[in-house]
Amino acid sequence: MVRKTFLLIAIISVLVGAVSLVSAQEPLIESVCLVTDVGKVNDGTFNQFAFEGMDAAASDFDLESTYIETTAPTDYAPNIQRCIDSEYGAIITVGFLLQDATLAAAEANPDVYFIGVDQGYEMAPENLVGVQFREDQSGFLAGALAAQMSESGVIAGVYGIPVPAVVKFQNGYEQGAKYINPDIDARSVFIQSFTDPAQGAEAAEQLIAEGADVIFGAGGQTGSGAIQRAATDEVYAIGVDQDEYFSTFGGGESPGAEYLISSAMKRVDQGVYLSIEALVEGDMEAFGGGGNRVLSAENDGVTFAPAHDSDVPEEVTATMEEILAGLKDGTIETGVDPVTGELLDMEMMPTEEASG
Amino acid sequence: MESSRTLLDILIAASGLTLAAATPFLFAALGELFAQRSGVLNLGVEGIMLMGAFTSVFVISDKGFNAHPAVGLLVAMLVGALMGLMMAFVSVTLQAEQGISGIGLTLFGQGMSTLLFRVLAAGVIVAGGVEKIDLPVLSNLPVLGSIFFHQDILTYAAFALVPISVWVLNRTTWGLQVRAVGQNPQAADSMGVNVARVRYSAVILGGVLAGVAGASLSMALTGVFQENMTAGRGFIAVALVYFGGWSPWKVMAGALLFSAANNLQIWVQVLDVRVAGAAIPPNLLIMLPYVLTIVVLIFARERQRREPAALTKPFERGEN
Repeated sequence: MVRKTFLLIAIISVLVGAVSLVSAQEPLIESVCLVTDVGKVNDGTFNQFAFEGMDAAASDFDLESTYIETTAPTDYAPNIQRCIDSEYGAIITVGFLLQDATLAAAEANPDVYFIGVDQGYEMAPENLVGVQFREDQSGFLAGALAAQMSESGVIAGVYGIPVPAVVKFQNGYEQGAKYINPDIDARSVFIQSFTDPAQGAEAAEQLIAEGADVIFGAGGQTGSGAIQRAATDEVYAIGVDQDEYFSTFGGGESPGAEYLISSAMKRVDQGVYLSIEALVEGDMEAFGGGGNRVLSAENDGVTFAPAHDSDVPEEVTATMEEILAGLKDGTIETGVDPVTGELLDMEMMPTEEASG
Repeated sequence: MESSRTLLDILIAASGLTLAAATPFLFAALGELFAQRSGVLNLGVEGIMLMGAFTSVFVISDKGFNAHPAVGLLVAMLVGALMGLMMAFVSVTLQAEQGISGIGLTLFGQGMSTLLFRVLAAGVIVAGGVEKIDLPVLSNLPVLGSIFFHQDILTYAAFALVPISVWVLNRTTWGLQVRAVGQNPQAADSMGVNVARVRYSAVILGGVLAGVAGASLSMALTGVFQENMTAGRGFIAVALVYFGGWSPWKVMAGALLFSAANNLQIWVQVLDVRVAGAAIPPNLLIMLPYVLTIVVLIFARERQRREPAALTKPFERGEN
């Protein structure tokens, strides 16, 4: 009986192996080329994280890779064309602002694959995928943490220009805070720039004067200015996009690093890596061409950064892990429209009872 | 939750922050005013501010020399003077087109401060910065004390500079020469005034003050440096000079108005002001400072323009 079972398993294994050999796809690409938004591949923004994702994929899958750093928006299309002319198999364009140039290039070059980070497509050719993020989930985690750490019952966020990604962070943050404490007072300030730390700091100072004891900064350098001011004023701070402990707070060297309790993370590197992996494996379904790849809690595309040097209690971290698990398996919903960032119907607002 | 603070508390805090936020505008705009009164339009203010902002906060941080903030300020002034010298050399000696050379200087300052920031500081600087000083007696005044006399030393200096500038322009020989070379350099030259030297000194002074403006932004207002953290303040300072009709007092009024509008916009959001129960859309509030500026400009239109007659015009001896 045992021998028969073994034999059966052996036969099945061989069959499965043969089938997978037959269906093993040829890699669709052997080289990748990345075009940044205005900035550089080491500038600490999504340009850098996209580059890191490409770099990791290139070394894991033995691909030839290169990048072009854009210096002005007028160079978007020419830079993409340079990648095409150099006959790279896949081209990664970083940022919402490259969406039009990317779509035009993808339509004109059906043999080349395109991966558009922070871009969303409704009608796209099969060789193009947009990589989007559930910033609302990431913000939800930040808000849940803020509400648990707040003693005053007033928490706040300092944001940049209200583009959809920022509004998703904001509404997610407020929804996450209400999930923990329905009576929480969540304030928000939008600043008309992503690059003005002085105004971010000023807004943080005013919010702290109003009683806010946790400040979430989600707006590029404006947000970083806000959390730096909060942290140096010994008020809890939460970063955004990447783990700002390593960027804005210099790996713990900068004053106030012990007040950075987390960051609402958006794994741009993960999104780029997964898209390249799908192409290398020849899996067009996984690539998701013609539509969008959405990075969410479910596929580890968004999460919260560790507490590092701060005094976040273990039970709070445990609750955070539970909420992350709930977002992953869908038992917790943020109540935020994942495309526009607007709040969904109030009936659907999550509560402690509903999620059980 | 209702704010636990009274309206008066909030007004006091908002007014105090407005004065602080006006500080970099004031330094930069007063410096630019001297340059323009001498006939040189310096659009390099933004770049000089960035270099001042970086160098000052760098030398006082532990990544630099842990220097006293006064040293940081001196370094910013020195860097500003050097960049002012560059501008003066290009626009006065080489007689290059001023608008273009100023933009060149701004691009240089943006690139250089970013490069130094990444190479010398690995992209992160946070420093203790400048303490607020309560002026004796005055800071104890009710209301006014908290608004006007609980600021850092740079804010006091910026506002003190306004009457000083008026005095220098109108009551000193050098001030008279500055106005003369900006208005009619040929006449000044025939009276024995060294036009080039006066313009050099005015542009270098402007550079020094732009450096201080940058230092006030990085050392005093934020305690950090970030790439391009001036966010256009240098250009707003140039606009304030036109807005203020080349008068230091009116330039101050403009700086206060712009900061107040910005501040009001933030306060409306901080206090979660609601109209008929609904939050005001943030996009509307963000427009507020610009709308207000345009409205004021419309009403200020008839105001007599006192543009220096020789502004942007290089001077060559004996050209007439």
